[in-house]
Amino acid sequence: MAEYKKPLPAISSLNAPYWDGLKRREVTLQRCNACHKLWYPPGPFCPDCWSRSCTWEKLSGRGKVNSWVIFHQAYFSSVKDEIPYNVAEVELDEGPRLLTNLVGIESADIEIGMPVEVVFDDVTEDVTLAKFRPAGMRKT
Amino acid sequence: MPAWELKDKAAVSGVGHSPYGKRLNRSTIDLAGEAIRNALDDAGLARDDLDGLIVSFGTPIGADADTLAYALGLKLRMYNQTWAHGRFTATCIQNAAMAVSAGLANHVACLASISFSGFRKPMMGGAGDSEGAREGGGGHGEDPVYGMTSPGAGAALVAQKYFAKYGATSRQLAAVAIAERKHASLNPAAIMRNPITVEDHQNSRFVCEPLHLLDYCQINDGAACVIVSSSERARDLKRRPVYISGMQGLPAGRHEFIWTHPGFGTSQQEVFDYQAGVQPVYQMADVTHKDIDAFFTYDAFSILVWSALERWGFCKPGEAAAFTQNGRIELGGELPINTNGGLISEAHVMGWNHHVEIVRQLRGECGPRQVANAEVVQWANAYGDSLIYRRG
Repeated sequence: MAEYKKPLPAISSLNAPYWDGLKRREVTLQRCNACHKLWYPPGPFCPDCWSRSCTWEKLSGRGKVNSWVIFHQAYFSSVKDEIPYNVAEVELDEGPRLLTNLVGIESADIEIGMPVEVVFDDVTEDVTLAKFRPAGMRKT
Repeated sequence: MPAWELKDKAAVSGVGHSPYGKRLNRSTIDLAGEAIRNALDDAGLARDDLDGLIVSFGTPIGADADTLAYALGLKLRMYNQTWAHGRFTATCIQNAAMAVSAGLANHVACLASISFSGFRKPMMGGAGDSEGAREGGGGHGEDPVYGMTSPGAGAALVAQKYFAKYGATSRQLAAVAIAERKHASLNPAAIMRNPITVEDHQNSRFVCEPLHLLDYCQINDGAACVIVSSSERARDLKRRPVYISGMQGLPAGRHEFIWTHPGFGTSQQEVFDYQAGVQPVYQMADVTHKDIDAFFTYDAFSILVWSALERWGFCKPGEAAAFTQNGRIELGGELPINTNGGLISEAHVMGWNHHVEIVRQLRGECGPRQVANAEVVQWANAYGDSLIYRRG
């Protein structure tokens, strides 16, 4: 695997299960065992009811584009060859919103509300990112 | 004690600033010293009268409060500092108003002194975006792992969604930058003074699309200072006091996303039909929207002006695009906004330059950009805090 130079996540005791899930090709988030709500970003207890009891639950990996932008400025030297590139905020079917990149689509075709599904990108041996593509695309 | 009891109990007794420029080649302590000295001179105070200091935005771009006290030989009874974000000017002034009302200090200098040019690495986004990688994510929605970096990117997410949701356009958003540039053209302290057109705005490069370069603030060096005193003391000083009549604190929580109002549905915000409702700042100051002679707001990105107008109920969600057309927010219009030229055209001094301008407007010192008979001016932000100032 070529050396990956883009920023990597800061993995902590709070978010490690999320990143472990992506390595297993699962989008998992915490669901409260008391009030049954999901939350994101990872936290020590349910922001709704303050229960400390939660389960990391596998989600559908499907959602829709809530908003998106195109970076024309290369803030990182490691993205110089990729600009312009997109960043999207995807609202998962289960509710929480993730920042991500859309793949398999030209920026001119991106629309708010369009259905998308997760694709897993193993960027290093230890880190897998959750990117999204238009729903229903044939696997290549 | 309800905040209402502090209505008009504290005042701005003096204002001052350094030159503003893209690359001043001066230290932030030096710039701060000049701003503080000018503000003290303005108030008719001596250095040793100053016994409080509140700084927003210190290291790595700005001067920290403790180093200022040391370098400038201040003898402080209290000081405080907020972290390196632009959102805290009203918070600092509110804390100063409380401090002088509680007797913790007589005169509190509130300021930021910043030098963006003093750093080789970009300090807003990219390698400088250490906050983007913190637990819980960046303060403006940064997530560098996916290339999501810089405060403007969060504003661009809001703009894109706003355009789609309400059928608004980038051409309409240009009205904000055009108005502010027009104001800056009347302000000798402003960095960008040449008037611009819609075409200039549309032809300026995208930074983070859909926002163009002309939707972005300046990146510069400079310091601006506001001195808060008890109104009783301020009345004995050189200038006519400008009273702090209304205060509303800075909210936070999962319902908030820095660049828009609750209900908009960015980050983890719930989606609902936001209505401004009753905002305590107006109750405290005992004024209504009709009494506001000019409106000042944190405009690091033009879209924030739309968010602020909607948040504070000058128009309903989705209506700011139309509201800001046809000169309504320009000098001579119904609601002049950021008459100094704002962060977009005067300078980015975290909004401290706006507070300096508000005070000068309420003293009638603004010459060609004076708002006729200005009596009540509001500072209020997309992110939910506010001050209402009243002419003394």
